[in-house]
Amino acid sequence: MRIIVPIKQILDPQGISVRRDKERIFINREEYILDPASKAAIEAALRLTAEAACPVRRHGVLRKEASGAEVIALCMGRPQADDALREALAMGCDSAYLLSDKAFEDADISVTARILAAAIAKLGGADLIVAGRQSGDTGAGQMGPRLAEALDYAQVTDVYAMAVPDGALQATRGWGDGFAAVEARLPIVASVAPQAFPPRYPHGARIMSAYREWTVTVWTASDLDLDEAALSPSLSFRGESFPPPLEVGEVFRGDPADVAQDVVTALKMRKLIA
Amino acid sequence: MDFGFFEDLLEEKGADKVEVIGEGYRNIWVVAETMAGKLLPATLEAMGQARELADQIGVYVYGVLLRGEGEELGQELVSYGADRVLVVSDPALADYQPEVCVRALADLVGRYRPEIVLMPATALGNDLAPRLAQHLNTGLISHCVKLEMDMSERLLLGTFSVLDGEVYHTVACPEARPQMATLQPGYFRLPYADSYRSGSVQGIDVDLADVTGRLGWGNLSVAVELPPLPLSKARVLVSAGRGMGDASGFALVTRLAEALGGTVAGSRGAFDEGWITEDQIVGIGGQLVAPDLYIACGISGDVYHYFGLQNAKFVVAINRDPEAPIMKVANMAVVGEARQVLPAMLKALGH
Repeated sequence: MRIIVPIKQILDPQGISVRRDKERIFINREEYILDPASKAAIEAALRLTAEAACPVRRHGVLRKEASGAEVIALCMGRPQADDALREALAMGCDSAYLLSDKAFEDADISVTARILAAAIAKLGGADLIVAGRQSGDTGAGQMGPRLAEALDYAQVTDVYAMAVPDGALQATRGWGDGFAAVEARLPIVASVAPQAFPPRYPHGARIMSAYREWTVTVWTASDLDLDEAALSPSLSFRGESFPPPLEVGEVFRGDPADVAQDVVTALKMRKLIA
Repeated sequence: MDFGFFEDLLEEKGADKVEVIGEGYRNIWVVAETMAGKLLPATLEAMGQARELADQIGVYVYGVLLRGEGEELGQELVSYGADRVLVVSDPALADYQPEVCVRALADLVGRYRPEIVLMPATALGNDLAPRLAQHLNTGLISHCVKLEMDMSERLLLGTFSVLDGEVYHTVACPEARPQMATLQPGYFRLPYADSYRSGSVQGIDVDLADVTGRLGWGNLSVAVELPPLPLSKARVLVSAGRGMGDASGFALVTRLAEALGGTVAGSRGAFDEGWITEDQIVGIGGQLVAPDLYIACGISGDVYHYFGLQNAKFVVAINRDPEAPIMKVANMAVVGEARQVLPAMLKALGH
């Protein structure tokens, strides 16, 4: 079984502070990290392979040599995304591909989906594609279904648990207010809910190997056979705005029952509670 | 209602003119979602928004019912603002199948050429809309909290939140048509129903013979046990302090956390009383948290505690002492005995 995990590198939100009153974003520390949603996707993929066949323990981590299952990490981004892919290797992916080119700089999500789909086609397709449901920065939450359409695979989004017994994916997905069980034959694209797959810490030995021995293959636009039309974005950015600064010190007093009602209403109006 | 004149209008325009962006694309569509035979509130919100946008640019609003729900729901959509409702009835659409829905909608979009297609950002909308957008080769602005028209360019501007809601981005889809957006439920006004509004409800056939759904739906109410969220990642925290008095007071905090879908935390005082474990302490020497909502119940909030929650986005403090330090930094300060306010809040929440 071949699993491909498209991953994303994002600006570390810990290094950013937003001043609503100044209407500015301050980047205190420009550091790029592997998106938490992508980490969850890698974790979900690795769990499947560990369960797929008798696991072999090496480097202290469950490995899957015996199963013949492989996990490939795929990232479209600038050259520094190399780091994210090495982290994916350290977590347990078998190979990593970076899709990087000047021509990709303007890509919006539809273009990114086409680029990833072209790379997946070049790799010979996949049985299962595991993506994060929604990235930690822009969070459009569109990649899973867009990839599925571009590759003409089946799709299941918002996955909380999954297994692949003989050639079909069985998944539990968020549906309405609860969860539903779905099933589909491979190949399929699954986008996973990050909270259901807390990622593992990479083993030290694998981190060393990821940076010293293993390679990240780089593909550019010419490797992927994409024409100009496929690379023209459809969305254009029209500006950013800031929510109003939060007021401090609104005081509620009086009869507990009335006060409680007022507080609940005020919180609901601010969409802090449902 | 006969819309034949409409097709004539389009033909007249097309022939020997220079190609204009979006030429021939008119009207706003809302793809309706139903649950147990009723329209979802999120669908009605989208309908209300569609009506407002349509009135600005002077076009019709179409409702699309994909699962053959029939006349009554169609009329209901009309009463909420639709001018015309297209009802597709096909056995292939009985269960939700993304590929089949995409095929049906793409076929309709090809025939009717809507300018804007709106969907609620529900589980179904989030699954279907991106796939449809990729199929139609157009952009999708997802999870919008605000929609407006740029009248000078006749473009839909969608605003959505990034970085955990700290910043809003606004984007447009200048060339590809239709323009698509999904609307975050709860952010748009629910329109009023006007049962005297008139509009047409029309059944329509779509050829779905050569597309089959690949999903098999099983049990629709599965229980899922999620791994416990670390305190630092919790979105809602309800925190207890010594002011809760005794274990029965602390139980109120637990109940409020359950009612809000949040997590229980506490001050070092609550730990000393034995109500919480060591890793539930917020503050210096405890956890640093950054929830969207932090409710401090009976906590005076000295600096050792406050340090742990300075990244919280919204703080509600419930304390009988209006001079307590936490009351000065809270976004909402509730002066009152927490043991009396919490039961009243639970009641107000319907628990």
